[in-house]
Amino acid sequence: MKNRFQELRRSTWSMPDGKQKLAVLEEMIRVADRYMTEEEAYHARMDYSNAAPECGCPERMLVSFSWCLSKFEKNPGAYSNFYIMWHYKWVLGYVWRMPELSLEQIERIYEDFKEKCIAYGYSLRVYYQKRVSLMLWQGKLAEAADYYKSWRAAKRDSLSDCSACEQNMFGSYHFAINHHKKGLQSLKPILDGKLSCRSIPESTYSEMMMPLLRLGEYDRALETAKKAYRALKGPSYLEEYGTFLQFFTVTDMPKAVKLYEQTIRLGLGSKVGWDRLQYMLSVRIFLKEWSKGKRRKKLAEAETVTLAWLDEEIERLAQAFNRRNGNTFVEDLVREKEKMAARLQAAYGT
Amino acid sequence: MGNMNFQVNLQGIIDLLSNHLYSDPGVFVRELLQNAVDAVTARKRLGHITEGKVAVELFPSSHTISFMDNGIGLTESEIEQFLARIGSTTKKADQDAADDYIGQFGVGLLSCFVISDEIVLITRSALEGDSLEWRGKPDGTYVTNKLKRTVPIGTTVYLKLKPEYEEYAEWYKMYQQLERFGKYLETPIVLTEDKDSRQINDTTPPWRMGKAEAISYIEDSEYEKPMDIIPLKSLIGDTEGIAYILPYSVSLQDEKRHKAYLKRVLLSDKMNNMLPSWAFFVNGIINTNSLRPTASRESFQENDLFYAVRDELGVCIKRYLIELADKDPELFARIVLIHYASLKTMAAEDDELYELFILHLSFETSYGDLKMADILRNHRHIMVTSSFDEFRQVARVAKAQNMMVINGGYVHDLELIRRLPSIDEQVQVSVLDILSFSSRFESLGRSERDEVQPFLDLADRLLAPYQCRSLIKWFEPADIPVLFNINQEVNFFKMMEESEEQANPLFAEVIHVIKDELYEKPYARLCFNYNNPIVRKAIASGDLKLQQNSIELLYTQALLMGNHPLSSEELRLMNESLLQFMNMGLDRNAEVGR
Repeated sequence: MKNRFQELRRSTWSMPDGKQKLAVLEEMIRVADRYMTEEEAYHARMDYSNAAPECGCPERMLVSFSWCLSKFEKNPGAYSNFYIMWHYKWVLGYVWRMPELSLEQIERIYEDFKEKCIAYGYSLRVYYQKRVSLMLWQGKLAEAADYYKSWRAAKRDSLSDCSACEQNMFGSYHFAINHHKKGLQSLKPILDGKLSCRSIPESTYSEMMMPLLRLGEYDRALETAKKAYRALKGPSYLEEYGTFLQFFTVTDMPKAVKLYEQTIRLGLGSKVGWDRLQYMLSVRIFLKEWSKGKRRKKLAEAETVTLAWLDEEIERLAQAFNRRNGNTFVEDLVREKEKMAARLQAAYGT
Repeated sequence: MGNMNFQVNLQGIIDLLSNHLYSDPGVFVRELLQNAVDAVTARKRLGHITEGKVAVELFPSSHTISFMDNGIGLTESEIEQFLARIGSTTKKADQDAADDYIGQFGVGLLSCFVISDEIVLITRSALEGDSLEWRGKPDGTYVTNKLKRTVPIGTTVYLKLKPEYEEYAEWYKMYQQLERFGKYLETPIVLTEDKDSRQINDTTPPWRMGKAEAISYIEDSEYEKPMDIIPLKSLIGDTEGIAYILPYSVSLQDEKRHKAYLKRVLLSDKMNNMLPSWAFFVNGIINTNSLRPTASRESFQENDLFYAVRDELGVCIKRYLIELADKDPELFARIVLIHYASLKTMAAEDDELYELFILHLSFETSYGDLKMADILRNHRHIMVTSSFDEFRQVARVAKAQNMMVINGGYVHDLELIRRLPSIDEQVQVSVLDILSFSSRFESLGRSERDEVQPFLDLADRLLAPYQCRSLIKWFEPADIPVLFNINQEVNFFKMMEESEEQANPLFAEVIHVIKDELYEKPYARLCFNYNNPIVRKAIASGDLKLQQNSIELLYTQALLMGNHPLSSEELRLMNESLLQFMNMGLDRNAEVGR
């Protein structure tokens, strides 16, 4: 069975990221659980936790992570606290994206993370950073601003995101609070090539496009989009694909169609409410525009993805967030995004 | 106080540039060739000469080599300048501008310090009369002297090799290096040792050859006969080249090794991104006059122009294939046969190529490997599995029911099959839902159904703990007693349940939410074959214990046959039912013997 395990592992190396790969990794976990040591099962799950978000299924990462965390807690000397804390950091970034989890649950997770940071001697910098997003996307701007200050004041350490990722987040923060110019300023070191990492500047570019359009910098937006689009690949960028879909709907319809066809099944398969909502919202903006013309071409999944279905789906997700957050922030955000899309369409659309 | 300049440690800078910029000590050959050729070009531009020449001479006994050209030469002030210009070169708009040539000259010369501790340069400029000698050391010190004798116009560089690089004064080594970097240069390069001389570069570059010539050229130089040659041209990038189609199949993961030349000097012979990533069935030999090299001159700067050129070269390959399908269908078919993996990637990315290729591509189907054209000839309704494993579960049975199922588990296949209706509206494609697959089989008649119902109820009860439900159908082949189908979600679901048990209370709640609200509970399917004699007997036996053992054994055996890992509970089930049957057989034997 160890051979089977190794054989499966080898086969994952040449597989593209996706459900297929996860299925193989799941089988590896099954084999490890049945026939190998707990330590091997632990590491098989750690690999799975690394792969699941890349394969577009971050919710599955929570499952493998939970198992590992409990083994770690029972026997902290046996496993590295750094790697499990590193994954825990990701978990903080995922939980608020699922409206099915209550604020109270999320709160307890954040506090547990904080306690563990203190227990294992890590700076609270990451904790504050993750708090910023948590507050920001519930519309609690004052709290977000407080945490933003704590974040920037806390000491950097090995658990912190790399400087490029952090710098990128400074930009995202300012975009989120509608300080577009300030946001672009924060991103300058990245754009000048001074800071980079595995996912930067790729994700920086896609974040900038819509703010640039809003600021009226059409040419720069186009140029940025070109660079970003080249770099984006794989199922882990659903939200970004949504941004591009919106952008191309305004600037280049044939490209929008192509992107829609390439990503719609990924979108339909997404279980994470926030990502799904953002993406479907972009699909609705796209499909409305598409439906204005007479089209011979039939789009992929045309039976499922209709405007009526999208209305229902977006409403369902927005309401789920409303209920969870106890406010209408996400619903308002949806409305605002659509308004912005209409304005951009009027300004630049062909 | 006026403005001050930073004081830079020249020795440190030279060490940095010469020893850390380049990946291979042999690049000094490229740099010296480039300098020589640039000098010749500059002098030709003045109209002074029509024939340039570069002469390389070896003096193995004194570990010295020399590079001589009859180019424009250097004036005293230019010599003074060239080190000062290092670093100012890359931002110049016009790389051919005269002063840029000087700066480039200096950077190139630095690479010589990798293999030599002293550079001696003797030169006379076409613009001034003096013969000059310059001696430079890696610590940044140098002396310039006016020579009494008059040397011919041009530049000669002498290098005394460090002991560890003495090999470069050997004929075979230098010949190899000169040929590697300079074989396509227009200016003749002659290598000399004592009385032996030989010209390195009498070949036309392959991008200037006719097709037949290029094919035999590649065959001689690469020891493989290309299937065909695709001419490449990019107008915006002032770039031309060839892509030769490899005679064997290569994988997407293999390192691409395109040869890239900048103004005919080899920049890299392992350039991996010069052509689009889908073009992994060709090797390129490409020369550009306008792309910008990086500082080490071993690759190109990846700017907008670079990508535009790459796209344009990609279009050349596409156009070629489109024309070839029409002009030489036989060759086209052979290319498809060998490079289907690459072509599938192309087809997935491009509608036009999809239409062109799809009928020629082969797929794994329930009827064996078939070309799409053959598949469509006999089948209008096509099912495609979304994974390899699902295909494996149904392939044999599907064929026996005359169902066309295609394995969509290979990279791109699912996507390619799904797009079939875009070329033929008559074709219906459905993605196979593995869990409802067996319900497509022939149903039983009313009275038979009544007869088997208690058996099915029993099976459902027994298999519920294993997340499996049963049904019964009549299907071929008769020798298969059951068909077991499971989808990937079932595995994941089991994993969730186990993790929920193991997790701490906080995360057990999280998993519970994911399990209940994000996923629907899936059941595996065990479909009994009413066409199979053993199944019939088990149903007919009426003995509950015997029926239970049969169901358990059929279930666990189906798991084993399908390569599904057995849980300890399932293993126990198998052992018990197997022992039961053994026992029964032995008991009967004993009875008979008595």
